Amino acid sequence: MSLLDLSRWQFVITVMFHMTFPAITVGLSILLSILYGMYWRTRKAVYLQMFRFWRRIFAVGFAIGVVAGIVITFEMGLNWGGYAAKTGPIIGPIIGMEVVTAFFVEAGFIGVLLYGDGRVRHATMFASSVMVSIGTILSSTWIIAANSWMQTPAGFVVRDGRFEPTDWLDAIVNRSFVWRWPHMVLAVLISAAFFVAGIGAYYLVKARALPFARRSVSIALGVAAMLVPVQIFVGDHTAGAVLPYQLSKLEALEGNWTNGNTGFVLFAIPDQQAQRNLAELDIPCLGSAINKDLTCKTAVPGLDLTPKADRPDMAAVFWGFRVMFLAALLMFGTAFYATILRFRRKLWTSRRFHRFLLWTTPVGVLAILGGWATAETGRQPWVVFGQLRTADAVSHLAPGELVFSVVGFSLLYLVMLIAYVAYIIRTVRIGPEHVLGLAGGRAN
Amino acid sequence: MSTIWFLLILLCLLMYVVLDGYDLGIGIATLVEPDASHRHEMLEQVAQAWDGNETWLVLLGVSLWAGFPTAFGTILPHAYLPVIVMLFALIVRGVSVELASQAPPAPRWERAFGIASLIAALAQGVAASTLIGAIGWFSALVAVTVGCGYLALGYAYAQWKTTGELRARAAHRGRVSTVLASIAAVACLLAAPPNLHTPARLIAFAGLLLFAVAGVVMSMITSPYDGLPLAGLVTAVVALVIALVVARYPLLASPDLTIAKTAAPSGTLTFLAVGIGLNVPLILFYNWFAHHAFRGKAPANHLANGRTGATQ
Ligand code: HDD
Ligand code: HEM
Ligand code: HEM
Repeated sequence: MSLLDLSRWQFVITVMFHMTFPAITVGLSILLSILYGMYWRTRKAVYLQMFRFWRRIFAVGFAIGVVAGIVITFEMGLNWGGYAAKTGPIIGPIIGMEVVTAFFVEAGFIGVLLYGDGRVRHATMFASSVMVSIGTILSSTWIIAANSWMQTPAGFVVRDGRFEPTDWLDAIVNRSFVWRWPHMVLAVLISAAFFVAGIGAYYLVKARALPFARRSVSIALGVAAMLVPVQIFVGDHTAGAVLPYQLSKLEALEGNWTNGNTGFVLFAIPDQQAQRNLAELDIPCLGSAINKDLTCKTAVPGLDLTPKADRPDMAAVFWGFRVMFLAALLMFGTAFYATILRFRRKLWTSRRFHRFLLWTTPVGVLAILGGWATAETGRQPWVVFGQLRTADAVSHLAPGELVFSVVGFSLLYLVMLIAYVAYIIRTVRIGPEHVLGLAGGRAN
Repeated sequence: MSTIWFLLILLCLLMYVVLDGYDLGIGIATLVEPDASHRHEMLEQVAQAWDGNETWLVLLGVSLWAGFPTAFGTILPHAYLPVIVMLFALIVRGVSVELASQAPPAPRWERAFGIASLIAALAQGVAASTLIGAIGWFSALVAVTVGCGYLALGYAYAQWKTTGELRARAAHRGRVSTVLASIAAVACLLAAPPNLHTPARLIAFAGLLLFAVAGVVMSMITSPYDGLPLAGLVTAVVALVIALVVARYPLLASPDLTIAKTAAPSGTLTFLAVGIGLNVPLILFYNWFAHHAFRGKAPANHLANGRTGATQ
């Protein structure tokens, strides 16, 4: 394993860990705003109960999201010093805008959202929740702008080996951003919806806190039913906005080493060394059909069209994409079936469905991680596609330092993940019944 | 333009040191606080505000990256270990403060919070010392200075925000920490005296140091105003940091990373000045709001009335 590999592993671990939390908190922050607004208008206790319960799950997730995000910002300089020095004039200001327009908004109002209940006015509480939600959406916007520039760079010149801006509008609102941004925002809303539905379903299964559980599940599945179909449409356009400019990514995610396959590869175990698949399962003609040729003649491009030095690692791209795609189908089926149950007034009686929902709790988060694996490993061996190689972006660190940090992050994040999951389980077991507890009583 | 941007980075540094300084300091103070309910009260003070305070660190990093990309890409790999250790500590701290506050009682997480605060402060001291290229015992000295300084700020903040026994103890221990921090700071200055080759620089440096001393003295005065020690310490810290910057300007890091050599192209700096510069008043407002919403002394029944139980 080279030093480059170590820095890459560290980056993958830290960025995937960070991503898990926005996948939950962005959607939850919006849910919290809506719930508090409902409570403020109707004064129904159940909305306050929902607000307080979901806030407990949100609070810790948000904190982990924040600290894990800080790590990545510093890694850009720590591990990717070449990248930082060369792309700084473009990526730096974009992330800088994120800090001032999003992070400070979130951070300024999160204190009131989490600790203000009962100490500040209803209007202040509500406004703070809304501000936090706005902050999280703005944050997604800027960060996708930064990442999209790395996928489809525009509006720059290279001078003395450094990227310099020539047209900020082109750089920020570039051609992949316009589809990747809605794809990302929908993704985080959908993942939060399944997360809420899954936890809500636990109470349906246990027949506890039913008014709370039904409202939570109903809102979540309603959101999913509306957004998943839109997401599939947007996902198709995202592919259209990125893949024509990154053929190597398309070739890898389709799973073909050689050009000429007209089928669709359903399953494969790629072997990068031997440049072939150890095992493969195809659906004949589907590949051609997806390219709108039903006569089975249009071939899906294969990796041999890309020079060997420019090929990404197929397994990661292929499987990242399959995870996202299969999760999308699963979520679509679930949301569709839930809608049918709802119209047939069986949503609250179908116990099998409730138990099934439990299993779908993490499916949106998995889709997001799979999507990012596709986007980022498919871009390799470039950090800035076609312009800057990952190998030229890495800092020259001492091996001991790197081993220390890779091992440290792995252990630390494992502990944090376990702590968060344990905390959720504990919070869910205690349940929402007591969060309205009489004066002086803590929820547990 | 690059000078203006440099001043903004200095502002971030000052805001960060003062704001996260006090909350890291409170964290360190929990390690030596015998009373469990006081410990928890201190932790709650941090829980309300740490996110906003720490965001200045992010802006500090990103401003350096955007305005002086080469400096960012060079300084950080050089300070790799201390910065990584600081990040580890900040992770543990952020998670433990929230867990200890959301699901009390959690004595283990409270302890983790205290230890992580201490490690973060010390690691920042070591990282800062690498800026002038020195490592070894000098780094340890800087780390001690930073740790004691934060502790003093933390106690001063606690004195301002609390009542009763906790307030009295904070006032007393705050003084002790201030004395320790001052001694350590003087030792640092003697160990690595800044190179003040022009008279103008010498005068500016001496003047700022006088301010710092005045701040320290102010923080030691016994008075009915519980905010006075905090005001004094903030003055001292700000004056000291500016003095150090004046002594080294325009050098960002040794041996030869200067502002001019590492600055981003003008297209970037203009964008930054407009996009970020114009936002500065707003972010100061958010910071003010975050503290203003919980103004005054923390309610004495704060604990019993924890937010999850508060009814409206
Ligand atoms: C979908 C959106 C999304 C994506 C793709 C990313 N983040 Fe993030 N980030 C957020 C959404 C978010 C968020 C929702 O705004 C936070 C706040 C709390 C949380 O859980 O996530 C967050 C927090 C957060 C923070 C702490 C902010 C603070 O101090 O308050 C930093 C520094 C970053 N992020 C940086 C990054 C970097 C460098 C990324 C690129 C790899 C990144 N984020 C990807
Ligand atoms: C603006 C946001 C982002 C920036 C600036 C960014 C930057 C980078 C950089 C510099 C690398 C090269 C290092 C490497 O190869 O490991 C990289 C790779 C990677 N990123 Fe991102 N990234 C962003 C968002 C994300 C997100 C949100 C995720 C996922 C959750 C992600 C997942 C990955 C993965 C999996 C790799 C590894 C690819 C590989 O090494 O094969 N990225 N990214
Ligand atoms: C069948 C429907 C879908 C298609 C065709 C699709 C397509 C794509 C493609 C081609 C990419 C790579 C874009 C790039 O390289 O930058 C991508 C990325 C991604 N996808 Fe999907 N997607 C679908 C559904 C979903 C769903 C349901 C989710 C989550 C709930 C999701 C989350 C993501 C994320 C987070 C990324 C990474 C960010 C980005 O590159 O935009 N996708 N998707």
